[in-house]
Amino acid sequence: MSAVTVAARPVPARASRGLWRDALRRLLRNRPALVGFFFIGIFVLAALLAPVIAPYDPLAGRLVDRLKPPSAEHIMGTDLQGRDEFSRILYGARVSLQVGVVSVVLGLLMGGTIGALAGGIGGRVDTILMRVVDVLLAIPGILLAIGIVAWLDRGLFQIMLAVAATNAPIFARLLRGSLLALRESDFVIAARSIGASSPRLLFRHLLPNALTPLIVQATLALATAIIDVAGLGFLGLGPPDPRTAEWGTMLTDSTKFLHQAQHLIFFPGLAIVISAIGFNLLGDGLRESLDPRLRR
Amino acid sequence: MALLDVDDLVVRFRTHEGTIHAVNGVSFELEEGETLGLVGESGCGKSVTNLAVMRLLPKPAGKVEGGRVIFDGQDLLALPEREMREVRGRDIAMIFQDPMTSLNPVLTIEEQMVETIRAHRQVSVADARQRAVELLSMVGIPHPADRLKSYPHQFSGGMRQRVMIAMALALEPKLLIADEPTTALDVTIQAQVLELLRDLTERAGTAVIVITHDLGVVAGITQRLNVMYAGHIVEAGTTDALFERPSHPYTVGLLHSIPRLDAPPGEKLIPIEGVPPDQRRAPTGCPFAPRCAWRLEVCWTEMPPLEPVDGSAEVVLSGPRASHRVACHNRPTADEARAGRPLRPGFVPAPPPGDVVDELVAAEGAVEEELVVFDDSGAPATALPGAHGLPQSPEEGEQR
Amino acid sequence: MLRYIARRLLGVIPVLFGLSIVLFAFVHLLPGDPAVALLGQHATPERTAAIRELLGLDKPLHEQYLLYLSDILRGDFGKSVIDNRLVVDEFLLRFPGTVELTVAALIFAVGIGIPLGRLAARHVQGWPDGAVTVVSLLGVSIPIFVLGLTLQVIFAVKLKWLPASGRIDPRLGIDAVTNFMLLDTLLAGKPAAFVDALKHLVLPAIALGSIPLAIVTRITRAAVLDVANEDYVRTARAKGLKERRVDDRHIMRNAWLPVTTVIGLQVGGLLAGAVITETVFAWNGVGAWVVDAIQNHDYLVVQNAILLFALIFIVVNLVVDIGYAYLNPRIRYS
Repeated sequence: MSAVTVAARPVPARASRGLWRDALRRLLRNRPALVGFFFIGIFVLAALLAPVIAPYDPLAGRLVDRLKPPSAEHIMGTDLQGRDEFSRILYGARVSLQVGVVSVVLGLLMGGTIGALAGGIGGRVDTILMRVVDVLLAIPGILLAIGIVAWLDRGLFQIMLAVAATNAPIFARLLRGSLLALRESDFVIAARSIGASSPRLLFRHLLPNALTPLIVQATLALATAIIDVAGLGFLGLGPPDPRTAEWGTMLTDSTKFLHQAQHLIFFPGLAIVISAIGFNLLGDGLRESLDPRLRR
Repeated sequence: MALLDVDDLVVRFRTHEGTIHAVNGVSFELEEGETLGLVGESGCGKSVTNLAVMRLLPKPAGKVEGGRVIFDGQDLLALPEREMREVRGRDIAMIFQDPMTSLNPVLTIEEQMVETIRAHRQVSVADARQRAVELLSMVGIPHPADRLKSYPHQFSGGMRQRVMIAMALALEPKLLIADEPTTALDVTIQAQVLELLRDLTERAGTAVIVITHDLGVVAGITQRLNVMYAGHIVEAGTTDALFERPSHPYTVGLLHSIPRLDAPPGEKLIPIEGVPPDQRRAPTGCPFAPRCAWRLEVCWTEMPPLEPVDGSAEVVLSGPRASHRVACHNRPTADEARAGRPLRPGFVPAPPPGDVVDELVAAEGAVEEELVVFDDSGAPATALPGAHGLPQSPEEGEQR
Repeated sequence: MLRYIARRLLGVIPVLFGLSIVLFAFVHLLPGDPAVALLGQHATPERTAAIRELLGLDKPLHEQYLLYLSDILRGDFGKSVIDNRLVVDEFLLRFPGTVELTVAALIFAVGIGIPLGRLAARHVQGWPDGAVTVVSLLGVSIPIFVLGLTLQVIFAVKLKWLPASGRIDPRLGIDAVTNFMLLDTLLAGKPAAFVDALKHLVLPAIALGSIPLAIVTRITRAAVLDVANEDYVRTARAKGLKERRVDDRHIMRNAWLPVTTVIGLQVGGLLAGAVITETVFAWNGVGAWVVDAIQNHDYLVVQNAILLFALIFIVVNLVVDIGYAYLNPRIRYS
């Protein structure tokens, strides 16, 4: 640095506004994220209100009504057993939402614990845990999920566990990475050097910064979880009761009728895509609004 | 006729935060072989001015909104892109601040030098390589033939800047623009690089524009200086005249904030209080007024014109006899310039008129500013609580 | 460079070791009597006894593991409890199909994704950028099986342009030599069959390639935008280089680094996606085989097929990392 440098150090006048409120303000101005909210809204409402909205029993149908195309009576047509497709789609949202959310939360808990231990303790613990994560990441995701369901046998909880296991290593690596980077970062060293206490350091400096990538990843993981659950269903590893309305299972059933019943592919497919798009858009929006540096 | 004639140049940036008035009517001339310094703080528009001359403003945000740039008889701003490309590198070359990031990390020095030469001359790769070796040895790089195969990261910072200089001079340009050429270098290397730059350009008769925030850099190597503030030239003249008799409060402030060996013992450095104005608003009055100790009431509302200090009607724009001009309503006297503050008994800087205060308070996202001045050792020399100011516009960080 | 490769190879060993433990646990910690669980409905007293003997199920756990490890190291991956075929044979028979599909999908994704990403970056925030953003959003949001079924309905059922499933029309009578259908048809000297195999490949490759396409497009766009702001790009322009050259040499050479890494990461996703794609399109590959094995509770096949799959995945990642190092002189020389 030569001669004289004049540096102005801006001090935020309204410190209380904080990162999160700022992020929320940016999120609400992010148009794609709002579209995402809208799609997620449709999905969640369908799941919650299924018993109210559904015009028919999703599990019962008359064989004489089978494979009817969409009509005024059955707006999405009927399936192989004459059940109302629209009602089944609504009830399917319940399964997807429930399994998707639980599996991501489970994955967050498992991965978060591993990541926090590895990044927090370091040393040998870190090495061993990260090797485990490497091993899990070496198995392609859906194959791991298939393996787990096959191993533990079919069942809703098994599916949740399987999908969680595919997400956990990603969360673990993410949290560990940001913890390590943060521990070495200038601003944490600076905070420590001005005597910030350890809990204060953890809660005010480390966690908010480590959490943001995790939140973004969790939102995106909801999209893949919904897809993976449907994928398991499509491969015949869905809920054990074959009558359950589950989008992936519904698709498998209709593959034999590509010529007669295209509505049985179109509507479940659309339902999966809409919910996945919703979470993907929201995740991208969150990424942009939580990271002030990305502001464009 | 001058080699370069920049006339009333206006550059604005359209950003999501609003329009940034980066350059507000800048005019200057440069003779062949002349060396000019453009001096000012980060964001004063000195780099933007030169990027506008090269037509390399960041797209699509940056735009020249007025003025002309005549180089060697051609209006650069009106040139088709294809012809402008010929000018770049061949007639006007540039050196950037950070040699670390200005060379492509995945290409060898050879690839980068050869492509420069072959972009403008019909020569074989072998001939271009031969020329590159000559150039590297000219800038003092040992074993040039071997070093050609190296990648930028295999050189030290000073050596890398030498490579940049070699590359810039490869086609014997008429004008070299050096943007903070030594800012990123170690102090011990700075002098060597500056000396090399001066030797080579003097020998070849290349005109040079040196952009810097550091008066120490330009003192030894430039013939003339333009001091810029918030997109305006506030003082211009020969380097000697400006150092001897600074006539703008900002220049006075700049000179008083550098440590000088010839200063009487015990003399304190005087920092310039406050921060540059928010360039998101169209300029009204003298942009330096809020920080100026000499300001009058008129300074808040009227931008003073750039006029000869001696009041003569004849103005010489370039060359060794260039007029010493200043844009100031209330010029510091010679004694005041020496003291660094107004000496008139009872003089108080004029308070801002009511509407200006309102604007300052109402401005969105106002931040409290603290001004810290660092001396050579890197420790804060003085820390002054600043008045409520406005955030600096995020422009190209010249002091990275 | 050689030292770097050696270091990376050594790094793989613990992962493989861990993988073998996980997969060992997978079979040997099956609920109930592993022998019965392994055989399921095929269990007879004789077969149960045989499999106990084979896996050493009456020995302590660590001995069982060592037995398993030595089997693998000798290249013995066991055999199916259903048809007694060797896992290795079956794997090698079906693997070419998966490779053919995966490579085609990758070519589709990279061949279209990179130009799309560059297009979006060049017109950032203009309409091409918007269109590309929407396409890549759809890419990551449409599951393979939904896209696959939709493609089948449109191009096979409705338009009848392309076949709906399989790798080739069986009536063409192509002998399996290499099991790469495109190669076998050429070896048989039947160009018409080659075209037929190619036609069978189109829809599955698009379905499988859609996710990597979206990701490659996004990363290319981001990388190009990132690099375009670098000082050395400004230097390149200031030197008076043609815009084409600035793009190809100064921007793309650097943008390639993140792009190749991401492409490499996609291969794992492609192998996983192949499992579903092969099921949708009745494509005779490893994925469809594993799914069959799972549905038949043929756990030994599942266990070792996953191991072989993961092995290939690891090798591919290794190759990508080494390629990355080769492209990036800063790593190459350190």
